[in-house]
Amino acid sequence: MENRTRALKNFKVQCVGISKSFGEGNEKKLILDDINFGVGDEFVVVLGPGQSGKTTLLNLIAGLERPSTGQVFVDGEEVTGPGPDRGLVFQKYTLFPWKTVMGNVEMGLKLSGMSKKERREMASYYIDLVGLKGFENSYPHELSGGMKQRVSIARAYVNKPKVMLLDEPFGQLDAQTRYLMENEIIRIWQAEKRTIIFVTNNIEEAIFLGDRILSLDGKFPGRLKTIYDVDLDRPRDRADTSFLKIRQRITEETMLIL
Amino acid sequence: MGKKSTNTLVLRIIPYVSILSCLIIWQLIVVLNIVPNTLLASPLQVIKLFIYKLNHTQPDGGLILVHAFVSLKEALIGYVLALLIGIPLGLAMGWFKPIDGLIRPLFEILRPIPPVAWIPLTIFWFGIGLSGKVFIIFLAGLVPVVINSYTGVRMTNPVYIRMARTYGATKWRIFIDVCVPSALPMVFGGLQVALSVSWMTLVAAELIAADSGLGFFITMGQRLLMPDMIILGILMIGLTGVVIGIIVDKVEKRLVAGMWR
Amino acid sequence: MAISKIENKTAVKIALLEFLRSKYILYAISLILFIIFWDISAKMNGRFLPRPWAVLMELINGINEPIAGKILIVHLWYSLKRVFIAYAIAIAIGIPIGLLMGYSKLINAWIKPIFDLFKPMPPIAWISLAILWFGIGETSKVFIIVLGAIVPVILNSMNGIRLIDPSLYHAIRMLGGNSRQEILEVTLPASLPAIFAGLQISLSMAWTTVVAAELMGAREGMGFIIIRGMSVSNPAMIVGGMLVIAVTAWLLSVLMTLLERRICPWKTELEH
Repeated sequence: MENRTRALKNFKVQCVGISKSFGEGNEKKLILDDINFGVGDEFVVVLGPGQSGKTTLLNLIAGLERPSTGQVFVDGEEVTGPGPDRGLVFQKYTLFPWKTVMGNVEMGLKLSGMSKKERREMASYYIDLVGLKGFENSYPHELSGGMKQRVSIARAYVNKPKVMLLDEPFGQLDAQTRYLMENEIIRIWQAEKRTIIFVTNNIEEAIFLGDRILSLDGKFPGRLKTIYDVDLDRPRDRADTSFLKIRQRITEETMLIL
Repeated sequence: MGKKSTNTLVLRIIPYVSILSCLIIWQLIVVLNIVPNTLLASPLQVIKLFIYKLNHTQPDGGLILVHAFVSLKEALIGYVLALLIGIPLGLAMGWFKPIDGLIRPLFEILRPIPPVAWIPLTIFWFGIGLSGKVFIIFLAGLVPVVINSYTGVRMTNPVYIRMARTYGATKWRIFIDVCVPSALPMVFGGLQVALSVSWMTLVAAELIAADSGLGFFITMGQRLLMPDMIILGILMIGLTGVVIGIIVDKVEKRLVAGMWR
Repeated sequence: MAISKIENKTAVKIALLEFLRSKYILYAISLILFIIFWDISAKMNGRFLPRPWAVLMELINGINEPIAGKILIVHLWYSLKRVFIAYAIAIAIGIPIGLLMGYSKLINAWIKPIFDLFKPMPPIAWISLAILWFGIGETSKVFIIVLGAIVPVILNSMNGIRLIDPSLYHAIRMLGGNSRQEILEVTLPASLPAIFAGLQISLSMAWTTVVAAELMGAREGMGFIIIRGMSVSNPAMIVGGMLVIAVTAWLLSVLMTLLERRICPWKTELEH
């Protein structure tokens, strides 16, 4: 345990000896088992099929759930609950339906007690950054899925979190929009770099986005299987030979069905 | 964990404690004469009157169960009539455009009239007997039944309809085999609403004009200045309402199970 | 160019056919048939059913000819006043109770059983007890209207809180909200549409109850008008009164819908 902690010491996000189980007694089910990894100032993708515990892993880092054993650290501080130093983008949009785009994006700043003028200014900047200029006064139900997820990203970004956590954010979008949003998240990220942990079940998406890919086992309990370094220049070409090579390697090693 | 299980135990006990303490407070209010007995009867007095009324017709001229039975009979006849006419009507309105076009305006006129507002006209037409009561309950039940049957058909998943069409089903067959079954849960949702509206309307009708029934029993209690009679009447109305609700629920489950097999 | 012209022509033709078969024509036919049928049955049975014309005349007369000392609009005002007073009381008591029941399991465990016990008893059944307690005046009427109106308010406020998507709480927590901000920014706005739906049901319930209460002993109000019509054997007065009652009910519900759109503009999402 000591060794592990030391080995992960220099990372911004550290997951040390994490396991998580749900239920009691005979119903008890181990979801994640002995997960150790660190994330620096980089774009990390957690890749795993459905039911591999990847969303649970993200919720543990977010602090929405507590690990059964082990600890999560962000910037050296243990995570004990949800907080604005981590920005979470949910799979199911989860915008406040009674707030406009502006209202949603500025919410974090409002909660922290920032003055109206200041937060309007900052929120406007990020709304612009995610490409929603002109939609400030729209309500979420008036937006498409892709636009909702842009709002969600802006809402997390504006808080200037130490780490961004994205939980299959494009999982509910159609293929076309999904490609577009993958390009967009890279553009936004390159405009303002953050540590990003991005969860997905899509190999191609993982390779397109990640500096590194952490792949989880397919069955309960989820275990960390392999870490892939993706040394491709951005913007990446999904049809490039080196891209396809990595893709083939991961596919073979993960038994994922594409 | 230990704390959690005691918590759920406490949450399970509290409802009984709550009701019991209410009864005790109620009893005490009367016994200690905080509210005079001419205005409020204690729970024990009400129970005593109930037992007395099981085999005495005084002072209102009928056994309590006979009153309950009269109300129940009126309610059920009117209610069943509302179902027999309302369900097919609502379903047909949902699927066949001409029927919708012809019936809907009349229905929209009928809809905002509170059922109790029909009481004077009904008494004027039918007098205070059975037929008038049945008519009011029929009207009261009809509106929710029709609305729910109509909405149920309208909400049929269009994918099923299109699929049936590609198989060459006729309009009538689609209605019978696709729309009606998929509307059923909504139809049954309407039955419970219709029931509580009908029951309430019946009580109002009996309070205004009747010579038997639970509403009449309450009115007699008011005339004789007997709060125990009034309270017993109210309780019996609540109880009978619950009993009918359970019956409808049971029948409903049977029917759904039978139809969806 | 030529093609679009042809398309235009057929489009017009189709539109015309559609219109002839459209529901509006059917609506008109339906209403005309209804009035003719009504008139004919009234002609044959004049003692029991007023002719449409007579009802209209009755209403017009009501504008300046007092019934039992008051003109029609004053009677309507009395009913509305009772409803508004009781409605305000029901909201002021019902929303906090419902919210607390939804928010705390402990409070719910105390109140819910009593509430469930009262729920199946129609509010109208309480009128005799209310008259015994408060006399025939305003208090007894307001009392039972409150009883009728408060149930949907409580139920919907309670469910409004219960049915909030828990991930909205996660979202506000992740943005740094504390528990006070959680209530202000999520719990209250998220339960608003359900509360409003309750208020709508509650208002129509209040209107029904006031009519019922006035049927059972009042010297003014719309319920009084129709029961008076019955006792003086004037069917036109009964039907006219019913019309006013219906139109008022309809107006009240339209008013609530408009108000709802004002207060919860995002609610359209829930309806799709």
